[in-house]
Amino acid sequence: MKIKLQLAIFNALSRSLVILVLWLMLPVLVEKVVYKHINQSLLEKKQKFIEHLDKDEIKDFMVRNDSTETYASFSTLHSEFLQLSRLPVNSKANKTIFLTEARIIEEEENDFRILQYQFKYDQTPYQLEIGSSLSEIKELTFIIRFFILIVLTIILILTFLIDTVYIEYLLQPFNKIIDTKIRRINEPDTFDYTPIKSNSADFKELDVALNQMMSRISTLFKKERQFIGNVSHELLTPVAILKNKFENLLQNESLNESAVDKVANSLKTLDMLKKVINNLLLISRIENHQYEANEAIHLSELLENLITELEDRIEEKELIVTLNLNPEFTFIGNKTLIHILLYNLMVNAIKYNKIKGGITIKDGYKEDQYYLSISDSGIGMDESKLSHIFNRFIRINNDQEGQGLGLSIADSIAHFHHIQILVNSISNEGTTFELVFPIAVKS
Amino acid sequence: MNILIVEDHKNLAIEVMDYLSKSGYVCKLVGNCEAAREEISVTDFDAILLDLSLPDGSGFDVLQYIRKIKSISAVIILTARGELDDRIKGLELGADDYLTKPFALTELGARLYAIIRRMKGFTLNELDIHGFSLQMQDYKVSYDSIAVKLTKKEFDIFRYLVLNKNRVITRLQLTEHIWGDILEVNSDSNFIDVHVRNLRKKLDKHTSLDWFETVRNVGYRINL
Repeated sequence: MKIKLQLAIFNALSRSLVILVLWLMLPVLVEKVVYKHINQSLLEKKQKFIEHLDKDEIKDFMVRNDSTETYASFSTLHSEFLQLSRLPVNSKANKTIFLTEARIIEEEENDFRILQYQFKYDQTPYQLEIGSSLSEIKELTFIIRFFILIVLTIILILTFLIDTVYIEYLLQPFNKIIDTKIRRINEPDTFDYTPIKSNSADFKELDVALNQMMSRISTLFKKERQFIGNVSHELLTPVAILKNKFENLLQNESLNESAVDKVANSLKTLDMLKKVINNLLLISRIENHQYEANEAIHLSELLENLITELEDRIEEKELIVTLNLNPEFTFIGNKTLIHILLYNLMVNAIKYNKIKGGITIKDGYKEDQYYLSISDSGIGMDESKLSHIFNRFIRINNDQEGQGLGLSIADSIAHFHHIQILVNSISNEGTTFELVFPIAVKS
Repeated sequence: MNILIVEDHKNLAIEVMDYLSKSGYVCKLVGNCEAAREEISVTDFDAILLDLSLPDGSGFDVLQYIRKIKSISAVIILTARGELDDRIKGLELGADDYLTKPFALTELGARLYAIIRRMKGFTLNELDIHGFSLQMQDYKVSYDSIAVKLTKKEFDIFRYLVLNKNRVITRLQLTEHIWGDILEVNSDSNFIDVHVRNLRKKLDKHTSLDWFETVRNVGYRINL
């Protein structure tokens, strides 16, 4: 999941948590405020009632309601009531308490906030109760809760959207860094060191760190290239000098036959050494991206030339080569390298073939991807060998000559060009190498 | 014969390479001094075509390097028109010849043949070997005015052995100078023997070949 979305979701969740707590606390808060307010007004009413109280009045109350020793009065809509009752003689006086209780007034039950006040008048204890209905308040609380819920939800959605946009804006330099400085870079030489504009110190820091890292890598790359250059110089020059000396030695008439043999064998060893060094250099140069891939290559033309080039060896084994290619296909790459790749595959197809065998080269499209396959009717190999044929210095067949670098080079070249190599082989029936080319990017 | 072309103008270089390849030369192409020095220290070239203005230095440096390591390659420098001082300096530093750009490819070919045959001690393009007459430039061999039909590869081998007369030429040398740089390690050079056998068969029809020696396990020698 993108950090943009993660952050926005996290923000939204934390905000909704706050909202939920608020929403749950609302009734308690409202109750507290409302009760305080009601209590105040009930106290005021009590005060008024007590101030105006005199003997006659109490008597009046009581007389009218003798049987129960209680006097009650209520407003028409049952939102308030007042009740005075006589208490047993030993009751304590001057006590005020508030309570919330359900009362039935004229067969209608309602929650009331009630003030209870016990007092003595003329040595007689009385209890005064003044109530105020809570039903309206409850309704109001419900409406407020509902209204707040809607407002908060709208706020939640709005802030989520704003968050997403803002985080996106904040992360823009980050995406740019990834895009221009990391994703598109194959080679330190093409690295763009211009700083990416950003208001966040973190991204500036990242950018600077990346630039520093790249300049270090670039230095290492240069050193490695220098090293490769030096190796080729320092190792191959003495080889060339020795070769010249041995060749001149061969011209010496006084050498006996066994000496000539030894010199000839030394020359072979030197040649092998030179080629191994050259091959390793080639691999390391390919892997260091020291080749450019910008030439248009006609594969069918290249293969035709290759077959002419290898004519001697094809004829020597009396092989029949079938070349059936679509001449239209061109590929942008490095011609020298592709030549080496196909050369190595062709040489393998010849080397491990049977006398009077065949080589079939064909092409086609697989799910929009162009492929070229080279099949031989040779000795083939089993699966255990198949898995490491691309490793360096592995020989397909121990009886054969070769230092096993050909396929390793082929692999490096294919990798360099984003070509996939597939191998299919059946022991004693033949091997097929298939090159699957990347979908062409026209530039 | 193998040739190193040191030229940074790729189009010109490829044009030259195409022409020389058709004339039976094996060509290697490099575009700067560093790569040129690398190639020269590793491979014996029969001839080197050297452009004087290269991206990473002057062709004179390469020329001095060639002569410093005592390479016997023939060197032809390619200069711009009118730069007399450069041509003189080049010859003084050990170049064998020069060509001013633009040049005709046929002239380049003719000069190359002339320099190579002179280096190998021949004065004519028509090489005379025990009655065989070999036209260096156009793949023609005759014996007593009777044409001997050789394939391209047989001709290349014959010509190379004649030019390097009285020297044992190893199979590896033949591959390097006629087939070019084969990267493949330990490539079996049996196919060379096949070509030489066929060549000998064709020549043997005309005269005895005691001057065409096979040095066992090593290679071949033509004695003159």
